Amino acid sequence: MHVTPAQSLSSSISRNLAGIGRALRALFSGPQSALGTALVAFFFILALFGGQLAPYPKANDQSHDARVSPTLDIGSLQLGAHPFGTDRLGRDVYSRVILGASSIFRIAGLGTLISVVLGSALGMTMGYRGGWLDELLGRVIDALLAIPALLLALVMVGIIRNLDFEINSWQAALADEVTLLVIAILYIPVVARVARSAALDIKTREFVAAAEIRGESSAYIVFREILPSAIPALVVEASLRFSYAIFLVASLGFLGFGSPPPSPDWGLMVNENRGGFYRLTPWALEFPALAIALLVIGVNLMSDGIRRAVQKGGA
Amino acid sequence: MTQLLDVRGLGVSYRMGRTWLRALREFTLQVDAGQIVGIVGESGSGKSTAALALMHYLSANGRIDGGDLRFLGEDMLAMDAADLRRLWARHIKLVPQNAGAALNPSIKVGRQVAEALKAAEGIADERADQQVIESFRDVNLVDPAQVAKRYPHELSGGMQQRVAIAMALMCQPDLLILDEPTTGLDVTTEAVILDLLRALISGRGAGVLYITHNLGVVAQLCQRVVVLYAGEIMEEAPVAQLFASPRHPYTLGLLSSLPKAGQRKARSRLQTIHGNPPDLRSVGAGCVYADRCPLTIEICRRQKPPLEEVEPGRLARCFRWADVEFPAARLAPIHEAAQAEAGVAGQMVMQTSQLARHFSVPRDLVDMLRGRSPKPIRAVDGVNLRLRHGQTLGLVGESGSGKTTLARIVIGLEARSGGKLELFGADIPGDLRSRQQDLLSQVQMVFQNPQNSLNPYRSVRQTLCRPLVKLRGLSAKAAEHQAMQLLEAVNLRADYADRYPDELSGGEKQRVAIARAFASQPSLVICDEPVSALDVSVQSAVLNLLADLQDEHGSACLFISHNLSVVGYLADVIAVMYLGQIVEVASVDALFRAPSHPYTEALLAAIPAPDPSQHSERILLSDDLPSAQDLPSGCRFHTRCPRNIGEICGRDEPPWRETGSGQGIRCHIPLDELAVLQAGAP
Repeated sequence: MHVTPAQSLSSSISRNLAGIGRALRALFSGPQSALGTALVAFFFILALFGGQLAPYPKANDQSHDARVSPTLDIGSLQLGAHPFGTDRLGRDVYSRVILGASSIFRIAGLGTLISVVLGSALGMTMGYRGGWLDELLGRVIDALLAIPALLLALVMVGIIRNLDFEINSWQAALADEVTLLVIAILYIPVVARVARSAALDIKTREFVAAAEIRGESSAYIVFREILPSAIPALVVEASLRFSYAIFLVASLGFLGFGSPPPSPDWGLMVNENRGGFYRLTPWALEFPALAIALLVIGVNLMSDGIRRAVQKGGA
Repeated sequence: MTQLLDVRGLGVSYRMGRTWLRALREFTLQVDAGQIVGIVGESGSGKSTAALALMHYLSANGRIDGGDLRFLGEDMLAMDAADLRRLWARHIKLVPQNAGAALNPSIKVGRQVAEALKAAEGIADERADQQVIESFRDVNLVDPAQVAKRYPHELSGGMQQRVAIAMALMCQPDLLILDEPTTGLDVTTEAVILDLLRALISGRGAGVLYITHNLGVVAQLCQRVVVLYAGEIMEEAPVAQLFASPRHPYTLGLLSSLPKAGQRKARSRLQTIHGNPPDLRSVGAGCVYADRCPLTIEICRRQKPPLEEVEPGRLARCFRWADVEFPAARLAPIHEAAQAEAGVAGQMVMQTSQLARHFSVPRDLVDMLRGRSPKPIRAVDGVNLRLRHGQTLGLVGESGSGKTTLARIVIGLEARSGGKLELFGADIPGDLRSRQQDLLSQVQMVFQNPQNSLNPYRSVRQTLCRPLVKLRGLSAKAAEHQAMQLLEAVNLRADYADRYPDELSGGEKQRVAIARAFASQPSLVICDEPVSALDVSVQSAVLNLLADLQDEHGSACLFISHNLSVVGYLADVIAVMYLGQIVEVASVDALFRAPSHPYTEALLAAIPAPDPSQHSERILLSDDLPSAQDLPSGCRFHTRCPRNIGEICGRDEPPWRETGSGQGIRCHIPLDELAVLQAGAP
């Protein structure tokens, strides 16, 4: 029997698809992780199609009566005109909560992705190469990890905000994505440490020695031999980072270091409606806060499930 | 004689996801007081499950499917937890496989053992301590009072095992279950522990169940043997009869696949059992061994044979037990060409002179303040070896002797701290990265652990194609073609190309690893314990394969093993290593003859022969291997040497003495005197 490369490729793809199918089944096998995954999926759909789903797709649409109470009737599942009410400026809270999903997913998701990619590359290289490079970078990472994350984030935001930017320059774009950048930088050392310890373990296995005596380059060994075996650990770490990132985005928004005011950022919405305004329009604070809580709980339950699925799968 | 244990038709299942895996089926066994019964089986045969089931102590996902389990006439399956605990405390004791993991690392061993005693007997502290020290003395622990004050990690593997044995024996149990107590120990330590067990057991009249995969140990220790395969008893017989005339094809296969003394690859290949043990999930209606059995007839696949009495006191589960016969020394045809080549002075492939590797030990604070640095660990210390084209050099020694470090220096995975290494007549840089690609393709390696030697995320095809592309510069298409030929050469079907390592058995993984090593057509292949992780029934096939491939490619081979009978089969020349030094180099024929180095002599005597009629007089080595950081002065072996001749051994480094015929020994005793001593040895 002779097998063509195409067949071999398709077999490898089907193997991976089967793996994803197994992972999804494992995620939905426990009630907690199923709930978590469903919550995350729900918010993800809001993030993707928020513009279509929100009754008033303009984030700063102030054309409604101010301080209308929520008209949500759970008994008959009637949404009414303003299900979550309107805030003191006459903005529909329901629409703003839906629209806010997209920015939190984009910032936390992309920030996590960047930190996982760069952190993995850094950590794996450190772990595999060892020696003075590992020693030096390891100390830098330790130092960074010793500073509380939120404090570091505030300092970084402060520095970037104070830079002089020319309009339309890349630095200006940077200012818009400052939270994303902060998350990426903040989590690179955390991910790197996990990747490093995974690489330290995997590099002692004999298939790595077999690659070395074949004269493979360091890059080949790190990315082709070691990385695949480290992916389960990295996936778990990525899901954990994502849940922390969401928390951090909301925190920065609440502290006023996130997106600037008119934007429908959940953390910002909580901040804008606290204090004296809470007595006037409690719903304008409660619904975005509820959204934050649900998403954080959902991501946490899901990442718990991912960790269990990966550990059960072994390898 | 009282019957201790009476098991009939016991079955055990484990839950795997939603299905139940029947790990043990229709297990039947009787153990009398004062009897040593062996249970032999390969990994996955259910022997450890049997041990736990007989104590009625299964893991949470296990259940007893049915059958009858009686201890001294009492139904153990009907007992509640408190009854069982009383039974375990006083009457049934288990010595686990890995004593290091079974002992609590944070409690001093003396206290741990005393706790077991107090639980069983309810006696006062001081008396318990006293008894613990007594029991430590019984298992020949040197300075028992001191040992009792240490934590498990401060003891060597052999000492840990002794503590576990002391703990089990102290309460004078009626039944002792030993689950592979010497697996993982060196052959010299194993010999000592086995001797100890034999002495302890014979004095107490307890019944013993000894579980192992090692037929030699069974032959030397047990009176009756049960052979387990895939969860079923294949055969049960008194030990002498089992080894002389097995009545089950599986037993016969196991016995004939062991390399026999004096069997050499040049003269014959090993007998093999073809195939792999069955997957318990897919055990069908017929005999579990039918797929691998040379005697299978049609009924074997349709119907399960009963465990029937074939002779008084002997049971076998086979329809054709009457046809099972030991082939009278049926040796496969001689490979004359290969025999002619060996020994002929070919081109030098590898030559080392004073090769050394010292690992420096990091300084701790005290050392730093005192301005001292600790002594380095001298893993390899002045090794001179030569290996010629087509030759196989066997390297033997206990764990910690530096065998693997030496191999890693030669292949370039480990830097050397001194000495010279010549490969193919040229001086070779130590660093792998500075070696030419041509040299890399000439030297390849087969690793010990098949679980780890293949990348789990690469198919067999990808694994085999990579060295072909990288080292031989083949195009993707040519590599593909060549990879299929390699698969064929290691006797794997073509459809294995698309499998991943987790879909292969241990033996199959090792075949792929061997194919990968031979892909670049190397002139020197280094094999680091390539069969030690494999079961007996697949071991011989892998050894044959190595011998065949080596013949075909004319490669030289550096073969590392702790198993002298395996090395004896495969090697032309054997080097014996002790604490980083070569103590003896000899051709295989010369090595098994006197004179040999006292260490070699002890190693040879320690091998448990898989033949109950052959009791080698053991030369027991005292103590464990000294630390390579703190080497004994003079001769490194003098602290344990049974032929120590006094002051000179501890003072002067012994000379390297050579006989005319290429044999060399590092010993103070002149060779002719050694020969006399060893010939006169009992």
